[in-house]
Amino acid sequence: MTVESERACCFKTENKFIVKSGCKKRMWRSLKQILAADRVLPWPEDAVLYYSINAPPTFKPTKKYSDISGLPAPYMDRHSKLYYSNAEEFATVRNLPMDITAGYLQLRGATTIVG
Amino acid sequence: MDNVLVLKDYKTVPDIVHEYEPTLKFGHIPLVIDNGSYQCRVGWSINDEPHLIFKNLIARPRKDRCKKDAEPPVTPPIQIGNDIINIEAVRFQLKTQFDKNVVTHFEVQELVCDYIFSHLGLDSDGCVPHPIVMTEAFVTPNYSRQLMSELLFEGYGVPALSYGIDSIFSFYKNNIGDSGLIVNCGFHTIHIIPVIRGKVISEHARRINLGGSEIISYLHKLLQLKYPVHVNAITMSRIEEILHEHCSIALDYQDEVKKWANPDFYDMYVKKIQLPYVQNTSSSTLTAEQQKERKKEMARRLLEINARKREERLAEDEEQLQQLLSIQDLIEEGDTDEFEEAIKTFDIKSYADLQRQIANVQGRIDKNKQRIAAAANPEEVEVRPSGRMQPPQDPEAFQTWLAETRAKYSEIVSRREARRARRAAMVRRRTAAAAERMRVISRLAAAGDEFGNQDSDWDVYKSISREADSDSDADGERLLELEEALREHEPAPSSSLHHQLHLAIEPYRAPELIFQPSMMGNPEAGLAETMEYVFKHFSAEDQLLLANNVFLTGGCSQFPGLKERLERELLEMRPFQSTHKVVMAGDPSLDAWYGARDFAGSNDFESCCITKEDYYEMGGEYLKEHHASNKYYRSPPPIVDNTLAPAGDANVVKEEIVVDC
Repeated sequence: MTVESERACCFKTENKFIVKSGCKKRMWRSLKQILAADRVLPWPEDAVLYYSINAPPTFKPTKKYSDISGLPAPYMDRHSKLYYSNAEEFATVRNLPMDITAGYLQLRGATTIVG
Repeated sequence: MDNVLVLKDYKTVPDIVHEYEPTLKFGHIPLVIDNGSYQCRVGWSINDEPHLIFKNLIARPRKDRCKKDAEPPVTPPIQIGNDIINIEAVRFQLKTQFDKNVVTHFEVQELVCDYIFSHLGLDSDGCVPHPIVMTEAFVTPNYSRQLMSELLFEGYGVPALSYGIDSIFSFYKNNIGDSGLIVNCGFHTIHIIPVIRGKVISEHARRINLGGSEIISYLHKLLQLKYPVHVNAITMSRIEEILHEHCSIALDYQDEVKKWANPDFYDMYVKKIQLPYVQNTSSSTLTAEQQKERKKEMARRLLEINARKREERLAEDEEQLQQLLSIQDLIEEGDTDEFEEAIKTFDIKSYADLQRQIANVQGRIDKNKQRIAAAANPEEVEVRPSGRMQPPQDPEAFQTWLAETRAKYSEIVSRREARRARRAAMVRRRTAAAAERMRVISRLAAAGDEFGNQDSDWDVYKSISREADSDSDADGERLLELEEALREHEPAPSSSLHHQLHLAIEPYRAPELIFQPSMMGNPEAGLAETMEYVFKHFSAEDQLLLANNVFLTGGCSQFPGLKERLERELLEMRPFQSTHKVVMAGDPSLDAWYGARDFAGSNDFESCCITKEDYYEMGGEYLKEHHASNKYYRSPPPIVDNTLAPAGDANVVKEEIVVDC
């Protein structure tokens, strides 16, 4: 911080977490780490914690939409694994470069080998 | 063209430093901070509106950037909130204190707090003499609250502090009774919180880990993939603008999608977004004629230069020849001494050498003279067979020529496509094309002596060949020619059209993530399904209480159509002929702050505050509960498992071994 801004912050008792440049930076726990640390504690039965109110997994069959147009997609291109809805789209899908198909798959979260 | 939407590219205005009035300074006035993961809103409890509203972001300049520029080295300042005028310029240096909806990075939080207090004009020495109301996430982990309390009590010396949940503040602000189902659509999460008779039933509340930021990045990626050319022009802030102004929730997504499949509907309702673009002036002002002229000019100049060079060389050579000849004269006159001297300066060894050099120079001069003669009348070489097709000058004829060329072009393309398809089919077995080929081959085998009498007989081989034949080569050439002609002479469509984004389903597709997280590979249930799940945990009576007061709040609940959609979903999930009602918050983004302000101004506020003494007595994670707060569960001490871990040094038998080396 510059001198000027330090003077402007006269209301501060001390710099609590701000470190001067060059000093060792404190590593902040990510939310995931905080929750993992919380998990191992012996909480009382009725305690409601961050990880205990996650939404349930969906039980409805997921609908398939064409990756490129968003229309309902009854077909999947076996080569690129993209969904498409009609012959016209199939032609487009077949001509898409690799990076675009990979991008669409990633967008749908379908990049895992199992999926 | 009709109604093209233009992006406004909103810019932020840096916050002013507000005046720290004496009434505030000595009045012990509470300060209200709605610390949201999207925006932070700050104001005094006695004011009607928050003083500061800014995005909870900081831009920290990279270290290696600052050293080079100036002497002494100037560190560019850290930009916070509304100081960041152009967010795209610092996109990769942005940091936020939030991980999802929980504050985890307290160094950034401290910088933000500095920003808040300094922009409120605080000038008290060594402390912030105001009680603070701060919002926190629903069921915030104790660890996070502990650090926040540590920061505020120890870093700023605040006298008292109270935490509350934004969505519950908003719920009570809207004054719609003491029971209801709060649906809070935030920037990173959607909370569904049941409140029954003034009591928050937190064990049945649920959180969907998806919010505005996910919708923005989904739409961002989607449009970048749709328009790979404009990857850099499609920025996050533009997407945010599109999301705020042009996106909405479909009442029935399946229906909506089906409508868009119809091309007429598409043409009628497609949204065209104009990206900024620069008219490419340098090439468009030069017509083909001018370019040709310029080329000719260049060629002429080159010729001139060459001619001049040749002249110079000729003069040089002639001079050298004169000198050599004069040396030759010397020897002919019998002046050997002088001759020896002269050839030394010319680096010539003997008389024979001299003779050869003279011949060389003579030859060069002759050649040069010939060339100059040739260059003097060059014009007949210029005529070059131009393969290019020349359009007629007359505009009307030009149009027909253009149409014809286009037709020819598409005809060849379709012919090529057909041929390609036939070849592809021929390779496979049991197709009509393959059968036809076999038939032709067998007929060929049986053909008599007349075969070959006519030239067209040989075409049969073209029809059975699996490789590309001469026809396709010829077509390819012709295609290239036409393409070139079209490219050259077709009037260029205005380049603004090339910089348009066409939004069809996308404005519905992105917010639909709220109801179908599976579209982005998130396995969680959507909003409607999770609501149904929450309902199941209550008695029929309480269910009715909740369903009749579904309360929508949070910035992301402002999508047009969300209320109607929720009503439809409720109609589907609730029992036949039962009632339900969806209420929108008066101001979905700001009601949390208003609610917190009202709380800070209420009479029992003092009793709901954690004082400094409480902090030192009970520890940082301590929380005084009130109507809008989280529940406080003291963190239990960690289990020390004696069975697994080695129980200290005492039980370990130590042996000393002396090893001889």
